Amino acid sequence: MPEALRVIYSAFRMAMLHWFADPQWVIPNIIAPFIFTSVALTLFKDSTGPFGLYAVLGGGMMGMWGNTLYASGFAIEMERWQGTLEEVMAAPSKLLHVVAGRSVSNAVFGLTNMLAVFLIAVLVFRVQIEVDDPLLFVTTTVLTLVSVSTLGLIFASAFVLSRSTQVLTNGLETPLYIISGSMFPIALLPFWIHPIAYVLGPTWGVDAIRLAASQEYLSQTFWQGFDVNTAILLDVVMMMAITLAYAGMAVVLFKVVEKRARIKGTLVEA
Amino acid sequence: MGETGSQPDNASGKAIVAEHLSKIFTRTKGTVRRTKSQIVAVKDVSFEVDYGELFGLLGPNGAGKTTTIKMLTTMLIQTSGKATVLGYDTQKDFTKVRQRIGIVLGGERGLYTRVSAIDNLRYFADLYGVSPSVRDKRVKELLQFMGLWDRARDRVETYSKGMKQRLHLARGLINDPELIFLDEPTIGLDPEIARETRQMVKELVEKGKTILLTTHYMFEADELCKRVAVIRNGEIVALDTPSGLKKYVTDARVVEVEGFGITEKEIAKFRELPEVLSVSADLGENKQILKIQTPKGSEIISEVQEILKGSRIYDIKIKEPTLEDAYLRLVEK
Repeated sequence: MPEALRVIYSAFRMAMLHWFADPQWVIPNIIAPFIFTSVALTLFKDSTGPFGLYAVLGGGMMGMWGNTLYASGFAIEMERWQGTLEEVMAAPSKLLHVVAGRSVSNAVFGLTNMLAVFLIAVLVFRVQIEVDDPLLFVTTTVLTLVSVSTLGLIFASAFVLSRSTQVLTNGLETPLYIISGSMFPIALLPFWIHPIAYVLGPTWGVDAIRLAASQEYLSQTFWQGFDVNTAILLDVVMMMAITLAYAGMAVVLFKVVEKRARIKGTLVEA
Repeated sequence: MGETGSQPDNASGKAIVAEHLSKIFTRTKGTVRRTKSQIVAVKDVSFEVDYGELFGLLGPNGAGKTTTIKMLTTMLIQTSGKATVLGYDTQKDFTKVRQRIGIVLGGERGLYTRVSAIDNLRYFADLYGVSPSVRDKRVKELLQFMGLWDRARDRVETYSKGMKQRLHLARGLINDPELIFLDEPTIGLDPEIARETRQMVKELVEKGKTILLTTHYMFEADELCKRVAVIRNGEIVALDTPSGLKKYVTDARVVEVEGFGITEKEIAKFRELPEVLSVSADLGENKQILKIQTPKGSEIISEVQEILKGSRIYDIKIKEPTLEDAYLRLVEK
């Protein structure tokens, strides 16, 4: 196995071991999805039409993004607090690979989180969700998770440098799932927010998921003049292109941030 | 910063070469009115360490020992100066340095306490690029060497301080390093475990490892180190063999005063006396011990009694200075 992959796997394994060693996983993976789904269904309770998917997607995105911020931010803060961050950074492997391993673990948690939201919506709240193309639905969901996790990598680089991760985490949690159109169509948001929405990979991912579920959403997407399969393909291409750009940015940011941390001495808890 | 991919420069034949290393931290305070302040942690530090040597960096808390070690281990970038470790420049070739060294920062922190010792070591083995065929065998060997194998699968949070320290040591050896940096490896340990730790350090030197050890205990440096650099306020004030450090106190005798009610104010008065070279104090709750170094020896007793007239004096002794006194002289006044 190549060195980088081994480090990513090892960081992934360590994150999973910690996840299961700490019963707190119940909060983000069971309790939080339940709350998110309840909030989303309450918001849509007076709506007409197939609101169930918006509610489930909205709740799922809330959980997924919350998980990403937790994994990339709080996990690094924990490493700093327990004194392992500087031990990890003193090792010859790249910190980016370690954080990427954590992000993969986050993607796995995110999947379970979304599944929990789906099950809670269907089994507890009796929401009827019909999906046109289940395979495409699952594929676009997984790709969106990758995009969200890669976006998390960019924020993680800031968390390495800053000791005020709690403020950043809280400040970033709500905007993403509103701006990405997870909860309601972007068309409802002020026009000046649209450019921000379109540089977020998850915006295109959520669009693709929705279209895979039902083609009646086509009229609400960016690709109104295209057929549904082309629209999904374009959504995925846009999302992956943006995700690759995120990955490139993360590589550069981690180099810069690692050097700054070594100059400023911010790896340990003050 | 990119790495040069250069070959090691071993022309010096030294394991470590530190040349005029300095580190200044800039701290910013306030949100609206931002004020910057600078802290000089290390100032113009130079020394060399031979291959196979156990070199000590000795100094009180806050003297700059850890900052120096962190610059040499590439965890910090120096403000000025240059360092080569095993022939590699610590700034330009930091990955090569990291691959070849072990670091033991010690203490209660720095371990994943929710998982087992095996999982801790396996993780760091992967981060240090230890091949899978070697990794598990080495993890077992290290845990056996450190006497932790019986508890290897238990969560680290259930370990005692001494066990955690031994796990730190095992982690520092996971990549079979040529050079090991030990930052205060016995701090906070009870005497028996500290003695065990020192024994392990000796065994590592016998195995041919080069070690740079920081400590603020003179006796530890004396027991372990071939040479010692004494660091005070970020500067090296002496570099010699432990016994060679005694030359710094050949001009003095030690007046040891044991009493009760001795205050900081009285200690300050001693420091102001021109004939006093250094004063160290152990201010216990029930008894205080002052060590006053002076070339005048017993001639100073009347002045001692005068300054301490408000306190109770139990005993006054005139002693020949020890290595500990040499260290105190270097770091105190």
